[in-house]
Amino acid sequence: MTRRLLAGLLGAVSLLGGVAGCGIPERTEVRVEGTGPVATGGATSAGRVEPPSRTAADSPEQFVRNFLAAPAGEPDRAYDRVRQYIDRGSHSLLQEKQGSEVVLTVVRLTKQPEITTNLDDIDVTISVQQVGRLRADGVLAPPEASETSYRFRLRPTLEAGEEIDWYVVNPPNVPLLSVDALATYYESRTVYFWSSDRQRLVPDQRYLPLAVPEDRQVSEVVKWLVAGPSEWLGRAASPLPDRTDLINNATRTGNRWEVNIEMPGVDRTRVEQFGTQLAWSLRGVYGGLDLKVRNQQDLVINDLEQRRQTHRIYRVDDPPRRFCVYDGAIHALAYPDETPGDVPVGAGANSDIVSAAVSRAGTATHAALVVEDPNGRRQLAVGLGQGQVSILKRSTGRGWAAMSRPVWLRSADQREPVGLVVADGRLLRFDGGAQPAPVTLGLTGPVTAVAASLDGHRLAVVVAGVPYVVAVNLDGGVLAVGPARRLPVSLAQLTAVDWYGENHLIVAGSAAGRPGLYEMSVDGALELPLEQDLGAPATHLTSYPANPFSSFGLAMVEANEVAYRTSPFDRIPQDLVQDVDGARPGNPTAPFFVY
Amino acid sequence: MTSAPNPLPETAAGWRPAARALWRALIGRFLGLAAGLHLTWRRSLQVRVVTITLVASSLLVGGFAYLIADKITSILLENVETDVETRLDSGAAYAAKQFGLYNLPQEAQLQDTIDGTVNYLAGGDPQQATGVVVALTADRYPGVIKPQTSPAVPIQPLISRELRDAVATGKKASQIRTGTVDGTRTKYLVYGSPVPTRFGQVELYYLVPLTRQDEAAATARATVVATGVALVLLLGLLAALVTRLVVTPVRVAARTAQRLSAGLLDQRMVVNGEDDLALLAASFNQMATNLQRQILRLEEMSRLQRRFTSDVSHELRTPLTTVRMAADLIFAERDEFDPAVARSAELLQAELDRFEELLTDLLEISRFDAGFAMLDAEPTDLVPVVNRVVDRLAGLAERVGVAIELDVPSAPVIAEVDPRRVERVLRNLVGNAVEHGEAKPVLITLGLDDTAVAITVRDHGVGLKPGEEKLVFNRFWRADPSRARQTGGTGLGLSISLEDARLHGGWLEAWGAPGQGAQFRLTLPARAGDRLTTSPLRLVPADAALPFGGPRSGGPLAIGPGAGGALAIGPAPAPQGDRAQVTS
Repeated sequence: MTRRLLAGLLGAVSLLGGVAGCGIPERTEVRVEGTGPVATGGATSAGRVEPPSRTAADSPEQFVRNFLAAPAGEPDRAYDRVRQYIDRGSHSLLQEKQGSEVVLTVVRLTKQPEITTNLDDIDVTISVQQVGRLRADGVLAPPEASETSYRFRLRPTLEAGEEIDWYVVNPPNVPLLSVDALATYYESRTVYFWSSDRQRLVPDQRYLPLAVPEDRQVSEVVKWLVAGPSEWLGRAASPLPDRTDLINNATRTGNRWEVNIEMPGVDRTRVEQFGTQLAWSLRGVYGGLDLKVRNQQDLVINDLEQRRQTHRIYRVDDPPRRFCVYDGAIHALAYPDETPGDVPVGAGANSDIVSAAVSRAGTATHAALVVEDPNGRRQLAVGLGQGQVSILKRSTGRGWAAMSRPVWLRSADQREPVGLVVADGRLLRFDGGAQPAPVTLGLTGPVTAVAASLDGHRLAVVVAGVPYVVAVNLDGGVLAVGPARRLPVSLAQLTAVDWYGENHLIVAGSAAGRPGLYEMSVDGALELPLEQDLGAPATHLTSYPANPFSSFGLAMVEANEVAYRTSPFDRIPQDLVQDVDGARPGNPTAPFFVY
Repeated sequence: MTSAPNPLPETAAGWRPAARALWRALIGRFLGLAAGLHLTWRRSLQVRVVTITLVASSLLVGGFAYLIADKITSILLENVETDVETRLDSGAAYAAKQFGLYNLPQEAQLQDTIDGTVNYLAGGDPQQATGVVVALTADRYPGVIKPQTSPAVPIQPLISRELRDAVATGKKASQIRTGTVDGTRTKYLVYGSPVPTRFGQVELYYLVPLTRQDEAAATARATVVATGVALVLLLGLLAALVTRLVVTPVRVAARTAQRLSAGLLDQRMVVNGEDDLALLAASFNQMATNLQRQILRLEEMSRLQRRFTSDVSHELRTPLTTVRMAADLIFAERDEFDPAVARSAELLQAELDRFEELLTDLLEISRFDAGFAMLDAEPTDLVPVVNRVVDRLAGLAERVGVAIELDVPSAPVIAEVDPRRVERVLRNLVGNAVEHGEAKPVLITLGLDDTAVAITVRDHGVGLKPGEEKLVFNRFWRADPSRARQTGGTGLGLSISLEDARLHGGWLEAWGAPGQGAQFRLTLPARAGDRLTTSPLRLVPADAALPFGGPRSGGPLAIGPGAGGALAIGPAPAPQGDRAQVTS
């Protein structure tokens, strides 16, 4: 009895002790909860385009070309790729940089590399023009280096007396990238930033390595947007709010992208604007997009293309109409496959005209005419109206000896339109009052041409035969001008310029002494001849730039008092000029687009 | 120069006995305590009931407490497990999406993405200490992909090898581990899941500290235990109270019964109310009343009987005296009668002697019964008393051919006794021994020690059958009732001797075995009024054979298991030199 009781007492005590001990255990065995997620076989967006390897070249010439393409690709491994070309003993000569400091020096070869074969090595001299610095964020910044030539040696590897490959000895201290490689291994992408007044999207050009897989392109674009616009656009474009950042990568689920960003202090309008900015910057990307701000579902774009269609960035409603000056008056040009437009200037004012610029904004028409006064000097006549402009104001004073084709800034605020014109080597601005005032660019030398981009925030000017781009901002009718960026070109004696696309210019200049027409990128890196045999320097150049709604640009040019059109390049014949009854026969001059 | 004796050995030698003494004292104290507890357990119903209640309720409450505490802990743990599993699933899906952009583990931005993803999954701000640690490892790409942890604490040891192996095989697994992180020892629930990518698998781990759950479980446990203990104590208290309600009247009844048995026949219990205990008290009182009535009646009857005996004895004495005188006259003149009448006169004389003796004994017995017997103790030398008895019975002994041997100390044996009564006892014992001695010697031994004196009378007659040792002291008892009373003796001698011994505060005991004769032992305290504890002489004579044959003289006894589970006692086998020895 006693023993049984004692056992019971012990049991009770041990039970209470058990209660005290039955907490969360210190450690447990591994418990398998189930099978983990399995990789879903999504299509890999490979498409990796890498520059050729060191041993891919058959000749020293090709080797040099490959060497100048070596850093192309993702910036993180650019130095690795270049180093593979360099002799081990010379590795230290290449100053290595990491991450965002990776900068490729982009050069344009001004002539073929000089290759001299010595007894046991090869001397290479390349003559270059500094084009810019390609940064990790895809911006081609203006060049800082001033070298016009680089010298290095090649050490061949011999096999059975034959040179099979080479190593670079004594290489340049920076990775060099030729403009050809830039064109080959990079894709030019346009991203957009809101203008300072948040009315317009201003294009900004970037270079995306083709090696970047398609799935990561969205992330790259968002990172570019986060990093802000290029320096030279600083005056016109505004960056995203401070401390905006992409949270991890943009990911794709099926046909939908998800972008998660950190964007402090934004309201609905800003998010909507960012959505539009993103949709335009992701041109070429289709499908839906979920924009999350700090993990909160904030904006759902079901179809990026639809978003782009409903949120247009330019007010270009109609196809452009061609006009020309014929016997001192504006006449429409009627190509068979185009609809001729109505002459925008009333008959009373349509005389003594040298050149003209007419801009449409909705139903409003802005006309700026260069007219010849009785003294043979140039005067400016400006008229604002609806449809056809009949009342024009004339500039006062004694006029100018020479005056270029005027341009209108197609800014968003059309109540006080501003135009620009070059007169007697000076850049002038004017408004509806037709009282030109000088604009200071901070450049020395005579200004010969000016052109305004479709967004109205960028100007291209030619000063002393050299092209510049400059960002402008129209703030309450005051034209604020940013620092001018000089464009490196191989052309000489530029006479005229106009915008040929969002990030392209058309310039008239001479290559090897022959005047021609060239298309060039807005950073000057890429040049493309449009017409190399113009015969005489162009005196007048006008274009309708390519834009998201018109995939190619149109241009008309006048050289030696003969007008031409591009695509195809041919002379504008007299019989296309409309309503020439009673006019003196002659050539159509100063052609222009109205849009 | 003399060197002082080294004190160390002495100290060491003195230390051990002291320790042994202390140990023995402790053991003794413990045994004493245990014995006390045992006694309390046996004696107190209240203690037993309270203890049983405590034990039973402890078992029950402990069981419930265990279940509840266990349930609470598992609910807490389940909650956090579900939470972590959900987070892990979404985290792994997110990480899979993020890493799905990369085809090779060497890709430049993969490490940045891993770092960013881990930080993102950990909640971004490491200062926002929720304590949750997110870790991503790539066991398949050591050196290519660096493991990343957010917040950056060294938790790698918390992810055990087994867990890694389980996750490496594509399983989602969990484990609880305890480790020291940031200087504090913390329990972590570690959950791991594989994250499939295009280049292979990486592993994502969530480590959730269980500090809060642990604290909550501890609080719940403490509450449950405290409640349980309180409940058990309350039950114990209740049991004690209830038992007390029952036990107190029972104790009162016991005390009353004790007083009743001590002779206080008018003791009664107090009857309160009408419940079961009141019924018990009433019944008890009724029983006591009935008993008292019966006892008084019996006492009265007994008194009347004794009075009757005494009166009859007295009344018989007077005519007997007359008859005696006449018989003496006839006996004196018997030679003048014819032989037949002379023989009758002799018979009459002998029977009158017996009749007188019987009357004397009856009167003595009635004196004892009436409580009138008084002890007239004085310091007496017992040796002459013994000699006197032997001398007086020498004639009878000679007649039946019995030799009386004496074993008496040479020195006087002084004791405070009533010499008349002692002599009467001895006379009775020796007379019986001679009478039943069957012509074999009778041994009388006188022994003494500090507190008592003893006299044994040993005969070698037919002896006593088992159980007859007590019967011999009954009045008018006969070993064989069919046997005719040949010899004298009234049948009251041993009864009177027993009363005499009791009057002294002594013992009168008998031993006997069939065929081995008998031995009677009288033990008396050396000083009148002392209590006896032992006797200086053995009751069983040394030459008596033990019932099982007995050991060889001086040989050891073997005690061991016998047939049918009984204990067997018998002489030990031949000594092999391995005698057990008991030393004090």
